[in-house]
Amino acid sequence: MLHRARASHLGSNMSAIEILIAIYSSVDCGKIRDQVPDRSRILISKGHCAAATYAVMAHFGILPMSLLDTYHLDGSLLTGHVNHTVDGVEHSAGALGHGINVAVGCALGLRSRGYTKRPVFAMLGDGELQEGSIWEAMMFIAHMKLNNLITLVDNNRISSITGTEQIIDMRPLTARFEGFGLSAYEVDGHDVGTIMGAISRIREGDRPGVIICNTVKGRGVPFAEWQPIWHYRSLTDEQYAEAMAHLDQVEAA
Amino acid sequence: MRGRIMDAIFERMGVNPNIFFLNADMGINLVEKFGEAYPERYANVGIAEQNMISISAGLANLGYQPFAYTISNFIIHRCFEQIRNDIGLHHYPITLLGTSTGYDNAPLGPTHHIVDEWGVLKSIPGIDIYCPSSVTYATRLVDRILEAGRPAYVRIPKGGHTEPASDEHMVKLPGETDDVLLVSYGNPAQVCLEARCRDPRLSVLVVNRLHPLDEGILAEALTPHRRIVVVEDHFPVTGLYGSLCEFAARHRLGGQLESVAPIDYMFDVGLSPEYFYKKLGMDAYGLLKLTGN
Repeated sequence: MLHRARASHLGSNMSAIEILIAIYSSVDCGKIRDQVPDRSRILISKGHCAAATYAVMAHFGILPMSLLDTYHLDGSLLTGHVNHTVDGVEHSAGALGHGINVAVGCALGLRSRGYTKRPVFAMLGDGELQEGSIWEAMMFIAHMKLNNLITLVDNNRISSITGTEQIIDMRPLTARFEGFGLSAYEVDGHDVGTIMGAISRIREGDRPGVIICNTVKGRGVPFAEWQPIWHYRSLTDEQYAEAMAHLDQVEAA
Repeated sequence: MRGRIMDAIFERMGVNPNIFFLNADMGINLVEKFGEAYPERYANVGIAEQNMISISAGLANLGYQPFAYTISNFIIHRCFEQIRNDIGLHHYPITLLGTSTGYDNAPLGPTHHIVDEWGVLKSIPGIDIYCPSSVTYATRLVDRILEAGRPAYVRIPKGGHTEPASDEHMVKLPGETDDVLLVSYGNPAQVCLEARCRDPRLSVLVVNRLHPLDEGILAEALTPHRRIVVVEDHFPVTGLYGSLCEFAARHRLGGQLESVAPIDYMFDVGLSPEYFYKKLGMDAYGLLKLTGN
């Protein structure tokens, strides 16, 4: 998708694939596809993770696979940041520090409507945590005991131009969230089973929770891994061939 | 004015289960009843206005029509990106309730002077902007907003003026001649009415819905006049003066458009709005002098 459209954000999309699979595996995707009022809500707060989101939605039958061919091309609704005019996307994002706050409203609204057990998921980037509005959300989530809200951080440790630890060092992240009154879990963000295990623990617990998913930006494309420039660069034909060959090898192994 | 609007919302909450009321820790002795009567549809989000706007969007996703309340400057200036992206892009029926307008908070300094807020909002497609000039208009406003089901901002002036006692979006009080028309809204509209009492030749057009303007009624109201003077407690470039200049250019209206309004921030203490009105030539005396009396 990214190569065909000469689109950017390869690194940010590849780090989040398994997180998205874990989230969509945890909900009734049929309800999302049919926009049933009591469906679970999934908010993609790191809106630039659109290609991966659309691909995973298609994998789970929310979007037709053929639609993915139009990603980032003239006339398509599949824009480079998630877009609510696409069926099944709850909210448009792209400016950071919004999606989690909208998720708070969804969690509050579900509770108010009496759907207290219906989960709301929000996926954030770790660079996004530098936005102050995130922490306005965290204070409110803990105070209101919005236990149906599960926050997942794609902790790929690189934001726009360099490593997040060089910009604003947020370590230790789990302690920061715990200090705000949430239960925090740190997991391998490329292991779907482990992420789903943490989701289950939060859903069974009595506090709202955050899952810090440690990931590799550009995961699966060796020349892009850990390289900040792949937030912006698009793949040449040669680079695409190399990336696909590597992914095929991984799949075969 | 504010009390009438709050009472109307509270009353409608009793019959409309889709209304949700939020505030950012403002409204003492005013908002408490919402939480007491409808705890499941009320939230004080704390001093976190950006969060309040985005939470409202999440509630609208669930089918609610949220009303979000705090002081006008905090709810607009701080939250423009939230208003644009989380409300505007989604055309959510969320109402921003901003208390205070112009120099209502006169001595508190320029951070609390509400002189440049609604003009930035009108750039968002599909938003309705209201500034009730009388309790008659304010009383019907909540039902209008609920029925419209669109994004809205209500700029709530302090005071409970009863004139003009009309619930129309635009109210014209014709003068004895068609020479000068004063156009105004909110508290400065009262000053224009006072000037008209002293000089009955003046016509006054009070605008309760600032955006969008009802173009048919507006063209009819403006056309006969040689001089049109927009009197507002808001910067003219983005305010009603700017809207009327754009309107006049599109409709090739020939009248002379003038502005009486602040064009910059004020740093001096004024114990009441009248101090600033006088300084800006926005008091009745200043308006009479400007219009040749």
